[in-house]
Amino acid sequence: MTIPLSRFLSSSRPFGQRLLRRGASVLAALALVLMVWAPSAQAQEKMSEKEKQMLAQLQEMNQADGYLEAHRDVQQPMELLGGPLSFTIRQTSGGVFVSLPDNRTLDPDVFGAPDQPLAFTGTPGITGVPVPMRGVSDGQFTQFERMSPFGDKNTTMANGNLMLQATDRTATDAATTEDEVTLKASWEDQDGNTYAIRCCELLVSAGPEFPTFGGVVTNHILHGFTGIGTPLMPTEYTYAAFWGMGAVLKNGEVVDKPRIVHGMLTEYVRGENYKLVSDSEVTPTRRHFHLMVAPFMPVKGEHKFQPKDVATGFELPNGMELPFWHVMFENLEIESQRGE
Amino acid sequence: MSPVSTHSLARTRWLLGPAAVLLFLVGRAPEAQAQSSSPAATVDMTNTLSFAPDTVRVQAGETVRWTNGSVIVHTVTADPEEATTDESVRLPEGTAPFDSGTLDPEERFEHTFEVPGTYRYFCIPHEGAKMYGTVIVTPAE
Repeated sequence: MTIPLSRFLSSSRPFGQRLLRRGASVLAALALVLMVWAPSAQAQEKMSEKEKQMLAQLQEMNQADGYLEAHRDVQQPMELLGGPLSFTIRQTSGGVFVSLPDNRTLDPDVFGAPDQPLAFTGTPGITGVPVPMRGVSDGQFTQFERMSPFGDKNTTMANGNLMLQATDRTATDAATTEDEVTLKASWEDQDGNTYAIRCCELLVSAGPEFPTFGGVVTNHILHGFTGIGTPLMPTEYTYAAFWGMGAVLKNGEVVDKPRIVHGMLTEYVRGENYKLVSDSEVTPTRRHFHLMVAPFMPVKGEHKFQPKDVATGFELPNGMELPFWHVMFENLEIESQRGE
Repeated sequence: MSPVSTHSLARTRWLLGPAAVLLFLVGRAPEAQAQSSSPAATVDMTNTLSFAPDTVRVQAGETVRWTNGSVIVHTVTADPEEATTDESVRLPEGTAPFDSGTLDPEERFEHTFEVPGTYRYFCIPHEGAKMYGTVIVTPAE
């Protein structure tokens, strides 16, 4: 069954405004599709037939497909138990941690072992890690053999600012949502360039490959073994998270738009030297906020993603452009309340 | 016996407002200046989430100065009520806890240690990343 991309893009504005914006929503989705299609075709041409076949098979096997099929056309989704939950997360001083491309160590609790692998279905990096892309030593998986935004390498950047205001009203994935998100985040490199993310005129009300709960979810477990988001991040209790369509800016100019922006306030998943920990090493008593613009975009008419680098404008030491933003804010002020 | 003087330059500026800022720019308050002129040890707080050096030794009555040399906000905290794990804080028996509060980049904090013993402290936002430090205080000679 083919569902138009616009089905999972819904306004974060109130219902009345959303009706007025429906046309704009469809146009935005169409523009998004046009932007991602060409690079994807080029990328696919480079793949061997065997790789294409494997990718298609893995995406076909995505475990959330049945659940998502039952939800993505729902026009009047149920509300969150207990009513809406609104929250504000701010950082007004101090810097941020910016993840750099790295090989992620594979946690056996999440990825199993070579003779009993886990978490391999779906688009690689989005919901699974194909077994052939995993290093093996002494009968155990070692690391993801491709560079990803999920590893131990990072740098710091100054003057991190974050303002997130959001409301979680809609409980499940659906065709529409009453959830709301306004995000402004920025930071500066050592040369004085300012990088920023703005979000979300549109929320991902139903996920293509994993649930997004109307675009905003609160008090849930994500990533790791859950199948909700990449397993390359540890399983982490998530106080609040969102997925929406936003813009990437450098020095005040939009350099990439639209992009899927994902943010989440979670328990602390870094260890000594800022190592990305495994499930058993998470610190449940501390929190930090992750902001992600992933190097993927959804595929038109299909419930899957394909690779597409983010135009960040930030140059790595090797001269390449950082192809994603994965930024952590840790000097947080958090407020929340139930009810309208 | 508890520490006799805990002084945060950052906190002082915040609490006293413009007058304190002016004082800070012209010349630090006499108490702070006296302490600032003679710390027995200095510790840097880094972008890699460490206190460097992670262990310093001073004598009772001497002062340690911490400087946030990173772009990240840190704290210097030896208060069990602020810690979420037992390993984060260790204080000699009967010693009062201390906490710098939030230290923005380039801000400093000083603490004078009066009671001999081993003090283990941590950074609140980076407790999960095990940003710990130790001050070993020996009796005054």
